Amino acid sequence: MTVSGRFTLLIALGVVPIVLLGRSQAAAGGILALWLLLSVGLGLLDLALAGSPRAVRLERRLPARVRLGETVTSLLYVTNSGSRRLRALVRDAWQPSAGAGNNRTPLSVPTGERRLVSLPLTPFRRGERRVDRVTIRSYGPLGLWARQATLEAPGRIRVLPPFNARKHLPSRITRLKELDGRTSVLVRGQGTEFDSLREYVRGDDVRSIDWRATARHNDVVVRTWRPERDRRVVIVIDTGRTSAARIDNETRLDTAFEAALLLAALASKAGDRVDMVAFDRRVRGRVQGAQGAELLSRMVDTLAVIDPELLEMDWAGVPAQVRAITSQRALVVLLTSIDAAGASTGLLAVLPQLTRRHTVVVASVTDPTTVQATHERADREQVYRAAAAERALLDVARVAAAIRQQGADVVTGPPADLPPRLADHYLALKLAGRL
Amino acid sequence: MTTLAGADAVATTPTLRAAARRSRFWVLAGVGALLVAIAATLLAGAGSSGGTPLAADNAAPAGARALVEVLRQQGVRVTTADSLDEARTIAAASTDPTLFFSDPNGYLTNDRISAMAALAPRTVVVSPDFLLLQTLTPAVGFGGVADSLDGPGDRCDLPAAIRAGGVAPGGKTLSLPADSAEIGCFPSGRNSFAVVGATLPSTELTLVADGAIFSNDEITASGHAALALGLLGPSADLIWYLPTLTDVAVTGPPSLGELTPGWVTPSILLLAVVFLAAAVWQGRRLGPLVAENLPVTVRASETMEGRARLYARSNARLRALDSLRVATVQRLATRVGLSRLASLDDVVLAVSALTGRAPAEVRFVLVDGVPATDRDLIAQSDLLQDLERAVIAASGLPADPPASAPPTATTPGRMDP
Repeated sequence: MTVSGRFTLLIALGVVPIVLLGRSQAAAGGILALWLLLSVGLGLLDLALAGSPRAVRLERRLPARVRLGETVTSLLYVTNSGSRRLRALVRDAWQPSAGAGNNRTPLSVPTGERRLVSLPLTPFRRGERRVDRVTIRSYGPLGLWARQATLEAPGRIRVLPPFNARKHLPSRITRLKELDGRTSVLVRGQGTEFDSLREYVRGDDVRSIDWRATARHNDVVVRTWRPERDRRVVIVIDTGRTSAARIDNETRLDTAFEAALLLAALASKAGDRVDMVAFDRRVRGRVQGAQGAELLSRMVDTLAVIDPELLEMDWAGVPAQVRAITSQRALVVLLTSIDAAGASTGLLAVLPQLTRRHTVVVASVTDPTTVQATHERADREQVYRAAAAERALLDVARVAAAIRQQGADVVTGPPADLPPRLADHYLALKLAGRL
Repeated sequence: MTTLAGADAVATTPTLRAAARRSRFWVLAGVGALLVAIAATLLAGAGSSGGTPLAADNAAPAGARALVEVLRQQGVRVTTADSLDEARTIAAASTDPTLFFSDPNGYLTNDRISAMAALAPRTVVVSPDFLLLQTLTPAVGFGGVADSLDGPGDRCDLPAAIRAGGVAPGGKTLSLPADSAEIGCFPSGRNSFAVVGATLPSTELTLVADGAIFSNDEITASGHAALALGLLGPSADLIWYLPTLTDVAVTGPPSLGELTPGWVTPSILLLAVVFLAAAVWQGRRLGPLVAENLPVTVRASETMEGRARLYARSNARLRALDSLRVATVQRLATRVGLSRLASLDDVVLAVSALTGRAPAEVRFVLVDGVPATDRDLIAQSDLLQDLERAVIAASGLPADPPASAPPTATTPGRMDP
């Protein structure tokens, strides 16, 4: 139960009769008592005439998924099953990061009818956003006093990673097609395999003319090539402690998701089979055996609800995870962070096991502020800062060198550049036939 | 899509009845505690020694109810008065009154004391103060506290005092000059007396130095009762006058309360109620708060900043400069076309050859210079940057190689930078 601003105003208006008619203190006191009695009486009457906030049926319609940064509409149907008209203020209690904005809606529902409360949601955080309750404050016909009840109306919406790196996809697919024989510019290399024969058209590389076939036909025939297909790509995402670090307003984990999604989209276009596992001490998410469009939708769905865990990454468990996915030779992409030598011993210890069987790429985000700090050396503080930054970069360089020594590749970049660099590295490996 | 159609939604807010049922125990416990507290206060208050001293209806040790009750039983009509006007009205209504007066707080001014002394033919004043003595009997002074008191004494001409025989020592006394006309009873030492009698033009005045003589506590001691009844009981009417605040003359300008119109106080009360209503209006939450688990995020550069502060705090100049130098040497090595792991001497020679600077100078910048102060450190760091810029300019390549150069199989992923 509560009172409204109108009731407060009504009481405040009592000052008019008190000042105008209250000649003596006793008379004024009597008017005050009468006015308060009148106000409270009206309030009680209003409360008795208010519709019950409990006699309400609620029905929700929500889209199951939304990409981070996009807006969807949450629909809530409020049916008045009580015997009096419901004049209410309805609060749909979404979690703050669901981005509901002003979630209070005034509503007037006649008996037995239904009204719609629609709320635009612009979530600003990835994951599962929930709503558990709806609070209804029902005012009386005078709008003085109100009844209030909180009703259960659960709902949820899954906010998917934004996949901003998809803008890099068309250019990489173009490059992939250049590897493929389908474009006129034929790029031939170790990593391509014979695809088919077709007639020579002007502009084709004369070196690809198949003379034997030309002799059989009456026309000049060229060979076309295509990249190797049906290779395995295994993406391992480190969701441990270090993935929580925030670089350029984005956690390492989010950058890893972007890179993984871009690589998966590109590799599935190239005909390779992509599997993914998010792992720290146990498996947080796994996508296996999906192809084409289903792959990406399953990946974003799985990744949406994964948050960094405050656990040390268990590198010793990674080879077993890869083995569980495939026994063939595969491209294993480890999306993790390369820091000081001490923190990377676990990674360095298991790399030989992986590189013996697979091609391994370690991808890590670098911090642009660290690089920036090495150039600023104006005063004492900045020189020490530059020294610390150089020391951090040297540590990273040492670990990267150690990783290369173990036979793995290293791809690093600031958050915006890491996904395209990883995609480029994949294309380079494909061209070189190292998959 | 989530549908909850069919039945009414389940409410998590308890109904009024349920809330009352749940809080019943605490409400009952609170009421019980309140009752116990009230009962305890009443019981304790009955035995306390509060109340106005010498009030006619005060049964506490300091009161005088015992004396008044005995007087009433003896047929004396005792009337209490709170102000001079009241006492005057009563005195005018009775034929031959006796006045009992005690003013320990000194409410009366000397005009009013004179007026009081003119009310009745017999006046008994208990614990007179300085102003009263000055006004009525200027010859009488204060005599201090008496350790011992004798009998009535030879200056005693009060029948009541002579009948009483003696009073208990330990109380205040009044002093009389040796040759004065006043009567003094119960002497202590030379000129101090417990009871003093004086004849004024308007009244027979009796001054009793110590008020405790008439109190419930001590009325039974020594000859107190006989003295009190003798002094107060000669006539059928006794006026028991204890001044109160109403006797204080009102002076100065009228107070704020008298100047304000009648509606001001009720308006202030109304404002208080408005404040209360506004507090409820704004304070009532529209349903419970919604909790949300937020993920942990740490700025990645924290460790770098922390290390920088450690360097600065411990003045690790050489260590800091070493970091800068090692990084610069590695960058220069790649810049002049040597491997990252090339020996320092090779790098120094190559850089010297490229920039035209003397090898010793290059070596000083890259290796030998030891910073003694922070100023040195900044200077050395500037020299390093100068050298690097000179090498970049001399080698004729852009300062930063294209960042997004696609890696090839032969050149594995380049570190950034």
